[in-house]
Formats: sequence, C-alpha cells, structure tokens
Amino acid sequence: MSEGSQIIKGHYQGQRGPLFGLAFVTALLTMLTLGIYRFWGKTRIRRYIWSSVSGDGDSFEYTGTGLEKFLGFLVAIVLLAVYLGAVQMILFFFGLTLFAEPTSPEMALAQMGGFYLTFLAVVPLIFFAQYRARRYKLARSRWRGVRFGAEKGAWGYALRAMGHWLLTILTLGLMLPRQTFWLEKYKTDRSWYGDGRFVQEGRWSALYGAMKHLFIGVGLVLAAVVALALQSPVVGGVLAAVGYVWAMVGFISYRVRAFIYLTEHKVLDDGIRFEARPETRTIIGLVIVGSLVVSLIMGVVFAVLAALASMVVGPAMMAPGPGHIVGLVLMMGLYLGALLMGGALSLVWIVQPVIAHVVGAITVRGADRLADIRQRVHDSGADAEGFADALDVGGAI
Amino acid sequence: MQDAVGGTYFDGRSAGRHPVDVVLDEAAGELVLTGASLDAPQRWPLARLRAQGDHARRDALTLALHAPSNDESPRDTARLTLADSGMISRIRALCPDLDRSDLAGGTTRKLMLRGVAALAAVGLILFFILPRMADTLAMLIPVEREAAFGKAVTAQIERALGAAKLGELTCEGPEGRAALDAMIARLTEGQDLQYELDVKVLDHGMLNAFAAPGGQVVVMRGLLDKSGGPDAVAAVLAHEIGHVERRDATRHALRAAGSAGLLSMLLGDVTGGTIAVFLGERLIRASYTREAEAEADAFALRMLNAAGIDSAAMAGFFEEIGKDEGKGPQLPAYFATHPASEARAQAARDNARTQGTTSPVLSADQWTALKGICG
Repeated sequence: MSEGSQIIKGHYQGQRGPLFGLAFVTALLTMLTLGIYRFWGKTRIRRYIWSSVSGDGDSFEYTGTGLEKFLGFLVAIVLLAVYLGAVQMILFFFGLTLFAEPTSPEMALAQMGGFYLTFLAVVPLIFFAQYRARRYKLARSRWRGVRFGAEKGAWGYALRAMGHWLLTILTLGLMLPRQTFWLEKYKTDRSWYGDGRFVQEGRWSALYGAMKHLFIGVGLVLAAVVALALQSPVVGGVLAAVGYVWAMVGFISYRVRAFIYLTEHKVLDDGIRFEARPETRTIIGLVIVGSLVVSLIMGVVFAVLAALASMVVGPAMMAPGPGHIVGLVLMMGLYLGALLMGGALSLVWIVQPVIAHVVGAITVRGADRLADIRQRVHDSGADAEGFADALDVGGAI
Repeated sequence: MQDAVGGTYFDGRSAGRHPVDVVLDEAAGELVLTGASLDAPQRWPLARLRAQGDHARRDALTLALHAPSNDESPRDTARLTLADSGMISRIRALCPDLDRSDLAGGTTRKLMLRGVAALAAVGLILFFILPRMADTLAMLIPVEREAAFGKAVTAQIERALGAAKLGELTCEGPEGRAALDAMIARLTEGQDLQYELDVKVLDHGMLNAFAAPGGQVVVMRGLLDKSGGPDAVAAVLAHEIGHVERRDATRHALRAAGSAGLLSMLLGDVTGGTIAVFLGERLIRASYTREAEAEADAFALRMLNAAGIDSAAMAGFFEEIGKDEGKGPQLPAYFATHPASEARAQAARDNARTQGTTSPVLSADQWTALKGICG
C-alpha cells in the first residue's frame, strides 16, 4: 500500500429497540431518584452510541463513569450555588431599582421579561461549561484503545465565544461564518487523538457559500416586508410564509454545509484527512419522518391514557375512601411515564438516525498513518462536565 | 484446551491493530493471545476480565483487564475484541465478574465528602445567605420603586385572573369604596405606617387577599362574600397591612429569584425534576412564609386592639378556612403556605379575651355597601 492510500469509512450499527429500552429505563430511574440517576443514565446512553460508531470494524469506546460525573456535579454545585444565588439576587435588585411604573399590560409584561435578564449572568458560564464538556467527552472517548483529548482553554473559549456572538448579533448575522469558523478552529486546534494533533485549515469567508439558502430565505422575508409596506397583503403573506420556511431549511443547510467544509479542512497528525458527505435533504427528511412517528405514537399513548383516566381512574376517584389519592398518583405516574417515553422515542427516532447518517457519510483518508499514533496520558476531566450538567447545556447526549 | 479463534488486540500504547489468535486455557484460567506483531504471548487471567457495558454490538465482545490505574476506572489500557460466538459464550459462563464496574479505592470517602460539601453549600445558600441578603436588599429598595414593582405584580395577577385590560376587574362602587376607606381609616388611625396603602377590590370569587410590594393590597370579592362579617374583613386587611409593613412580598420575590434557579439546577431539567422543583420551591417558601404569617398575625392583633375591633371575628374566619382545608385531600402542613388555621384561630380567641371594649368596624349599612362594591 502506498503512503496515505488507506481509506476508512464510518459505520453506525445502533438499533432502535435496545436504545429505546436503555433510554426508557434510565429516564424512569432518573425520575424515581429525583434526577440523581441522570449522570449514570447519560453515561450509559453514551456508551451505547459510542460503541455503535465504528471505523474499519473497530468500535469507539466511551469510558466515562456516572460516578465521576456525579462527583463533578457536586463540585460544580458548590461553586454555582454561591455564584448564581448571589448574582441572580443582585441583578434582580438592580432590576427593581430601575423600575418605572407600568402603564399598559404589555409594558408590565415586558418588565417581567426584563427580570429574566438575570440570565446574562450565566452566559459566560455556559460557554465555559460547553468547552469543558467537550474536553471531558473527548478525554473519555477511545478508538483502538487510544484516547482522544483536548487541551485546557475553557475561559479563553468563553471570552472568544462572547466576542464572536456579540459581533454576529451587531452585524445582524453577517459575521456568522466568522464566528462558526474561528470558534471551531479554537476547539479543533486544541483537540488530539493520542499524540496526533487536529488542525483546522481553511478560511472563514469560504463559509459564505454555505449561507446561500439562509440568505435567500431572509431575502424573501425582506421582500415580504416591502410588499406589505406597498399594501399588497396577499403577496406579502405568501412571500413571508415561503421565506420563513426557506430560512429555517437554510439554517439547517448552513449547519450541514459548514460541517462539511470544516470537516474536510481538518487534518490529523499532519496527513490524515477527512471527507464528509451528509445531505441536508436526508437530515431534514429524517427529522420530519421521525417527528411524525414520535407524535403518532405519543398521540395513541395519550389517547389510551385519557380513555383509561375516564373509565378506570375517574370512577375510582369518585369512590369514598383513599381511592382518589391512589387514582391521582396512578394517573400522574402514567402521565410521567408517557412523557419519559416521548423523550426516549425522540432519541431513537430523531437523534439516532441523524447520527447514523452523519457517521455513515464520513470517510478517513490516509488512515495507514493511524498505526503510528501513540497513546496520550489520562486527563482527569476536571469537573467531568459538572458545570454543563448543572446549567443543563449538555444537549441530548 | 480449546481451538484458537481470531481476535483483534490493541496494546493501549499505540493505535496499531494486532490480529491475534486467542486460546481459552481453562485449566490455567487464562486467555492466551499470540500474534506475529506481539513481542510475546499475552496472558489475561479470566478473573480480571471485564467487558464493555451497554455495548451496541451483540456479535462482538470487547474486553479489558481489571488493573489499578489513575484512570476513570481501574482498567488496563489494552483491549481485545472477539467475534467468535462460541468463545464469547464460554467466557461469559466462566467469568462471573465480567460486567462488574470496579471502583477505585477511596471513592466512598470522596463521595461522602463532596456530597456533604454540596449539601452544606446549598443549604447555607438557600436557608441562610439568600434570606439575609433578601432582607437587606428589601430594605435598600426605594419605596417608590417598590410601589412600581407592586403595581406590575398586581397587573400580572389581574391578567392571570382573566382581565382583558387593566382595571377591568377593579370594583369601584362609590358607596362601597367609601365603606372600605372608612375601614382602612379606622384601622390605621394613630398608626405610624411607612407605606401609603393602596387597597383595591377585584371582582373574583376566590376567598383570598394578598399584599403586593410597596403598599398594594388586593382583596378578592370572594373574601367579602364569604368571610362572615366586616370585623373578619378588617382582620384580614390588618394582616395584609402587616405584610406590607414588613416588606414581605418584596423579600419573598428576592428570595424566589435566588432560590428558583438554584433548585432547577440541582434537580436537573428532567420530567420528574420540574415537579420536584415546584414542590421544593413550595417547601422553601413555606418555611419562609410561616414565620412571616405568624408575624403578620401578631401585627394584625395589635392593630385590631389599637382600633378597638373584636378579634373573635378573626378566630371565626380562621376556623372557617380550617373547615375548607379539611375537604380536599390533606396536604402536609409544610406544603401549605399558611400555618395551621386552628392554631391561628386559638391565638385570635386568646387575644379577644384580653380585649377591652370593642365596637364593630362598620355599621350594617356600610357593610352592605362594601359587599356591593362590585355592583
């Protein structure tokens, strides 16, 4: 084999049944333990999904433990309790002192909304937690027995993320590609597989091409505004509706195409390159079909629950004695169980198919060099994602 | 000794792949790995074999060795993947500890220490620091700002009760208003209050009254209908004025702002968590509130005594609420925002016995007018 000729294709072999069982049981345990089991639950779901992903027949491995996540969470809680409790109240206090008398219900509502500005105090922490969570996940991922990893740099990331977001917002989204590229580069350039380093190449302005459909959608909405200003409500309404849907699809298309560009301009260990061919239309199709299936199943489940409530639980609640408490608890239990089922179903029908599509669309070139990559040392994982768990920025998996 | 089967070995030092022949030596209790790219045969004791849990691939088994390490789990870094179903079921039968998740030494101690630290920090924040801060901050807010906030709160409540536009539910019957003002004047006469009271009646059947920040007091029509008499309404009003003077509503809003976020963080945003957050919030609020209610009751009794109004009506009112509470499913007293009504009624009765001469707060005509304030 000549240098750099070996190709590895991504492969996903997770199944619906086992993942649904896992997700439902862990969600049930999470509910019964008032949320404590969620660290173990998330870990077990990750183990399943990681082990479903393979390259050249070798599966990925997730080695994180629920216990270390719980311990990290406890540490994060101590720090966040002090910070959030105090900051939130002080911000609320300043919110109060800036108060003017509301003259209309809208204004009263707006002022109540203003109180949620306390959210701003959390923003730097959210970015910090996101970087830390990524570092932890990489540190607990292995392939062929070799660890992935990321360098420290969560505060640097939080600072840059806030700057880029501010710029993007101030330019009404025109600087979005710049933000996407530089934040990805910050993360990629600090990521490792064993002793092999990832490098993000490419230019940020190249991502403008990926924004094409987003621009068309926004353009249509602007045209709708013009049409409405020119007193043609029908044209304006149609343009607005089309533009809105176009922009939504355009946003997904941007994310997919940006992912492709960024992945194809990543280099590992000076010579291993990647190819990514996920398709926007496939992903949208998977999400739509998945959502339909989930809502259909949930519709049936809730209809059965409602019938059960009116025929069995209802009469039991009318009966004298402790019947009404039992009926109420039973109904609440069934209702929560149905909600848990909804969560598990969307993991199985929406999240997993999208992951499977993206993994299957990735190709690694120059894979012969992988054999030269050496193990890297263990990373304690700092707070083991505790901040992300506390602030709930982890996402589905 | 069984036949050799193929496997894939990763040495944990590099990402190189080593095809190996694996033999299960049951007599020695070992897996023996041999391969051209291995320096020497590897011998894996069966007792130390551990499998990857929650693995998606049923047709393959990935093994690691239990070994002391500084890693997240006590495991050696080398891995062996087997795909031979006969070998896999044999290993499963021979290794009872295959699915064990071993803990590193000192884990229990670490767990206890951090658990206690986290509970202590949260408890300290929720029950000590936040209440103290809220008390201090509530005193620092300028009265006019507080009043503005109070108006926003009452506006919010009016909307929640179904008012399409502000002031729609406010009852403004002129004779009723005059009776209400007379009642307030009687109660507050000679009292040195820091707030200018703004009492209004809302047209709603709920048996309730509340104090919003900054001197706003809202009385529901249901209270006038069902309370049993003007003296009882005066007692409730005096109680709410007690809340106003102590800035309880502002204090509670500040506390809630601090503790709500903290609680949802603790319990996670899971399905059961939302309910737990709600109950937890109620529990914490109840512990603040019970103290505040007791203080407001004491304030009300002092106010009734000063105005010469019989507090027996207050006792009667509490007994009435007590009966209502008995009807529904009984919630533990901790979850109720008000202290047990029986004890409060008793306090009002005891006070009534020590009162000197009293007179009704309103004349019969005035009371009729007040009851008709909503037209």
